[in-house]
Order: sequence, then structure tokens, then C-alpha cells
Amino acid sequence: MTKKYKGTREAFAAAMMDMAEEVKNLVIVCPDSLKAMRAVDFGEKYPERYVECGIAEQCAVDVAAGLATAGVIPFVGTYGGFLTMRACEQMRTFVGYTNQNVKFIGVNGGLLGGEREGVTHQFYEELAIVSSFPNYTIFTPSDPQQCYEACKLAVKTPGPVYIRAASGKEPDIFEEGTPFSPTGITVLKDYGSDAVLFSNGYVLDRVLAAAELLKQDGINVTVADINILYGKDPSEILKVMAKSDQLFTVEDHNINGGVGSYISRLACENKPAFVTRIALTTYGESGPAKELADAYGFSPEAIAQKVKATLKK
Amino acid sequence: MTEAELHKIAQKLRLEAVRMVYEGKDGHPGPALSIADIIATLYFDVMRLKPEDPNWPDRDRLILSKGHSCPILYAALNERGFYNPKVEHFHLRELHSKFQGHPSMHSTEGLDMTSGSLGNGIAIGAGMAYAAKFTGRDYYTYVITGDGELQEGVCWEGVNMAAGRKLDNLIVFVDRNGWQSYKSVEFTVGHNNIADRFRAFGWYTQEICGHDIKAIRAAIALAHENKGCPSCIVCDDIKGKGLSFMENDNAWHKGVPTDEQYALAQKELGE
Repeated sequence: MTKKYKGTREAFAAAMMDMAEEVKNLVIVCPDSLKAMRAVDFGEKYPERYVECGIAEQCAVDVAAGLATAGVIPFVGTYGGFLTMRACEQMRTFVGYTNQNVKFIGVNGGLLGGEREGVTHQFYEELAIVSSFPNYTIFTPSDPQQCYEACKLAVKTPGPVYIRAASGKEPDIFEEGTPFSPTGITVLKDYGSDAVLFSNGYVLDRVLAAAELLKQDGINVTVADINILYGKDPSEILKVMAKSDQLFTVEDHNINGGVGSYISRLACENKPAFVTRIALTTYGESGPAKELADAYGFSPEAIAQKVKATLKK
Repeated sequence: MTEAELHKIAQKLRLEAVRMVYEGKDGHPGPALSIADIIATLYFDVMRLKPEDPNWPDRDRLILSKGHSCPILYAALNERGFYNPKVEHFHLRELHSKFQGHPSMHSTEGLDMTSGSLGNGIAIGAGMAYAAKFTGRDYYTYVITGDGELQEGVCWEGVNMAAGRKLDNLIVFVDRNGWQSYKSVEFTVGHNNIADRFRAFGWYTQEICGHDIKAIRAAIALAHENKGCPSCIVCDDIKGKGLSFMENDNAWHKGVPTDEQYALAQKELGE
């Protein structure tokens, strides 16, 4: 590893630097986002591997599609909503339908991801959008270390990959060297089977804290991180789901199309269970990350309270 | 190949495109005929290709950004020998057909890119052109857009990017036939000053008659000599060119010839 990184954006930049010598056909495609992606060092060291497109996300995705047809591996990095919404059709038609080997990393995923920038720069819809495109693999790392690993795994994964990243202030949870789970799930706490809490993305620390609060109240839950959405083989997830009839999902994303939808679908198709989804149902607003997350229902206390109230029903 | 021979090929491709639409009972013949001479010159005279190896890394690329014109491209690929045996009936737009309603690169050998959603060809072509330089290959990337298509904003994103990255291995043809789906380009946006705009964006820009094969060849030769910026060749074309009942009649943007019209097409475009 070239240097220690802080937050998911630096994790991306570090992964690119660390892969650069080994993967010679790896390039970064930027709609004027090199600085936002913390990848200026990469651009300076490998100027021919930094493809500037100007403030033009649709162009950046199209350029990436063109690059990929010639065997280049482009990583398009910028704000998640500008990719998945402004360049939605390009991601669908010219990368998804054509099954090009293009990698995307969308930052400012979630309220926490966008924090003080406000709604124009907070994105809680990307996973719903990308999950409706066949051929895409969707990685949802839950801390910087996992984001670093996700970037590396994305390059080894054939076809389009979307990685959800955030602002750069994400707390560290995983130990250095922890691989990005190929099964799509990592169980982080196994206190019991009163409920299973499936976390997704950068609220994982809050879900872990909620599990501790619940334990103090005599409710013993399992906490699992879902790091691949709508993966091809959900068998390991189904095993964890089998532990309880009370399933919860917690995600800094709209209630539709993210991990809540995924677990609901798996439950409907494989193992009927009560699924309670803690997610966003409104647009957000500006604010410091912690205060924002608390205000929108992602405090450990609010998560624990929701679990308790549901189990009492 | 002589200009007369290329003209003859273009006429053949026109008839094939019309037959394809006539047999398939659906498609866009007018926009296809508009670019027949450009397509014939590229595929039978200019482009470096190996029809037996359609994914040859050193081949020249073509993106038909105005993808609805695909019958003429399908006809060219067929005549150029991309399909063995040669396709007799295209089954255009039919279920499971090799020849989709708009170009689909994984359905049809010889297509370098999927297209049809207007506006994207220039930016995708810029990516291909950048890749050539990055990987040390000397292929050219050609893009054909419509003049109406240039109303799509992403076109100009691609134009900016290609200029910024100095992609002199990217050559864009604009099929300026003056028409779009409903009315004229002039009516729609009040101008059709394509060359002025490309020049303003820093492109090496030429204006020619898009049915003059000598002029097409000369413009491509100049574009190949041009260094340091991308090239645009604005082609003044006639929508439906080659058929008396179709020329400049925008009703043929999309339409199917009757039996009588197809017979007339055979007469007018035949040897």
C-alpha cells in the first residue's frame, strides 16, 4: 500500500495508485472530478491515464464505454447522482447493455455522504437505479478499508461495476487487510437470534452501536454487513436470514431499491419473515454528518428503539 | 477503387437498404439513403478492416451515431463480406434477428458500437480515439451524426472533450440533410450553422457535398493529414437521396415502400 488513507475517496485514490503498476491498462475518467476523488497524485504521476472530460458526466460515461471497447479499463469517478441520474442512460445503454468493462465509483452516497452540501449533492437513489440495469455488479462497502478492497475487486470483476462511496469522513470499522466478502455478507456481531439487522453502507457503526444498546436491554441480535447488492449467489445471506423471523435493514438510501428491497425480495422468494426497513423516505438537507444521520432516524438509539418496538408488536 | 465503382456500390447499398425496409415492413429509409455515399467510401475505400476478424484490434472504427440509419450500414457490412454466407434476407427488426431496429454491437458482427439513442457517438468515439493513442495503435475512429442529432447536448460535451484531448484520430461526419423527425432543422432551432460551431469548438472543419465521392475522399485525406485537433466533415446531403419519390420528402424519415415503390426503387437504383 502506498500510504494510509482516510475516508472512501482517499481509499479509491490509494487503490488506484496501488493497482497502477500491475494493471497497466487502468485509467481514471473524470468529469472534472480528479480533485474530488482525491486522485490528483495519480493524475500527476500518470498523466496519460487520467482522462479529463470536463464537467460533463454523460460524456465521461460515453468516453469510458469507448475506452473499454479497446481493452482499456476505465474507472469513472464522481458524485454518485451525477453518474446514475444525469448519465443514467449512458450507464444503461452504452455500458450495461453493451456489457463493457467499465467501473464506476459514485461518491456522496447517502445523507452522510453528502452531509453539509445539501440535497443537490446527497444521493439516496443510486442503488435503486443501478440495480435495475442487467450486467452490473453493485458493491456497497461500509468503510474506507472496504472501499479500497472494493475498488481492487472491481478491476478483477468482469463487466460493469458500481461502487458506492461517500464524502471522505466515514468511520473505520474493518481491520486492514480484510477482503471484500465475495459472498456479499459479513457477520460482525452474533449476540443472538431475536432479530437480524442487515446494515448497508456507512451507517454500519450505528447499527453495531444499536446492537450493543439492545443487548443491554436483553435483546440479542445479529448484525451483518451486506456489501454486494443483488449478487448472483445469495446463499450465505439466506443462511443468516434463517436465524430469525425478525429481519431489519438499515441503509442511508431511499427505502426503495436498496438493501431493504433486496432482503425483502429474498425473504419473499425463499423464507417468509417480517422485514422492517429503516431507510429514507424523504429528501434530506444540509448539516454535519452526525447530526444529519441522527435527525433522519439513524442514531443508534433510534435504530434500537425501532427494533424494540417492532419486536413488541 | 474508382469513384464510379464506389458510386455503383453506394447505389447497390441504397437498394439493399430499401429492400431491407420493404421486406421487414419497418425502418428509416430516408436517413439511410442520405449517408450511402459516405458509408460506401468508408467501408469500400478508406477503412482498414478485416471482415473475417471483425474485432481485429487495429481496425478502423465506425460509430453510426444516428443509429436509425442502420439499414445502410447493415447492407455495407454484408456487401463487404462480414457475413459468411452472405445474408440474403435481413429480417430487419424481427424477433431474434441479427439486424436489430437500432445497431446492437453484440447482435451484429462488424458493428463497433451500439447506437440509436441520439447524441452519444461523438463522446464514445472520443473514448475509442483516446484508447488508440493510449494503447499505441494507429486506427482511426469515424463517427456519423445527423444535423438534427446535434441538438442533443451530450454531442457538445463530446466535442469539447475531443478538442481538449487533441484527438486528431477522430473524424466526425455530419449528415446535414436539413431534416429531423418532424420538421426541418432550420425550423426547429433557427439555424444549421454546423461548420461555424465546430470551428468555434476548435475542430478542423470542412464542408463538402456528401454525395460527391471525390469530395468525400479528398476531405478524409485532409482530415488524416490534420494534426492536433479532431476533424469534422460537414456533408450537405439529401434525405432519401437516389430515389425520386423519396428525395427531400421527410415523410420518408420512417416509412415502408409499397410494392410499386419498391419496383421503382429497383429501376432507379439498379444497374
